Amino acid sequence: MDLEWNDGQPIYRQLRDRVVEMILDRVLQEGDPLPSVRNVSAEYRVNPLTILKAYQQLVDEDLVEKRRGLGMFVKTGARDLLLKGERQKFLSQQWPRIHATIQRLGLTPEELLASEDEADDGPDAAKKER
Amino acid sequence: MKSLRFLLSVVLISISTVAMAQSNPPKAQTDAERSFEKLKTLAGTWKGQITTDPREPSMDNLTIWLSLRVTSKGNALVHEMKEPGTPDDPSKDDPITMLYLDGDRVLLTHYCDAGNRPRMVGKISPDGKTVEFEFLDVAGSTQYGHMHHAVFTFIDANHHTEDWTFMLKGDKMVHAHMDLQRATQQQAAAR
Repeated sequence: MDLEWNDGQPIYRQLRDRVVEMILDRVLQEGDPLPSVRNVSAEYRVNPLTILKAYQQLVDEDLVEKRRGLGMFVKTGARDLLLKGERQKFLSQQWPRIHATIQRLGLTPEELLASEDEADDGPDAAKKER
Repeated sequence: MKSLRFLLSVVLISISTVAMAQSNPPKAQTDAERSFEKLKTLAGTWKGQITTDPREPSMDNLTIWLSLRVTSKGNALVHEMKEPGTPDDPSKDDPITMLYLDGDRVLLTHYCDAGNRPRMVGKISPDGKTVEFEFLDVAGSTQYGHMHHAVFTFIDANHHTEDWTFMLKGDKMVHAHMDLQRATQQQAAAR
């Protein structure tokens, strides 16, 4: 787990968000156990109670299930549930602002796709130059 | 005659002292004072295990450290969940709790990394073995939940337990139980 805290949110929320990212990126697959409380606590010097809060939040969001005596595991369907929520969030919160900017700048779909190709080529091109 | 006068005055002073003592009997300790004095006996460094219900196996054998210290001329007890010897780091969530008397109440204020400060009011059990803190009010946003309940149970001079309940948004509870034993100075210094 890669963690860097910021001041914006409590640590348990940031920890919850990091696990969500790991599920979306398939670093954590459905059925996988969550990172051990002991390891996360030791590695990042986080209070175990904080980790419990983060994990309980994920249980409440139906993304993680508790298996008695075994621990907490990513639920089947968690990724789909997250994608649905994240897509909805993007379309309702982020896309209107991005769309307005595209309109304001008069960017065409072709220009946007071309810039995406350039961005994709970017790191490779940089490597070739080295 | 002089000695008789002296004897008489001594007797009168003694009588008046006894009478004053009887009219001002020593003030009985209130429950809040009894709770606070009992809590102050926890001053020191503690280590132990933290468990939850249902059990979270990845927490087995996880050692938690905390410390309590009496400060402000005995008027406050500081409770800190942090390993001894670790440097202060504002980016970490080392929660601090202050316990103190407020008139006829013993109060607890928890300084949470969720950015709020819940207050709880304590009540000692009739047998004096438990002080249970119930939620009173909270300052700051509860957008990310708040600490809601705490129980200190005294076992003996070197053992006690703590139960902390955090309320997540949506009134979902996270409960942690800590079995603690007093750490020796060597153990604390070895951290």
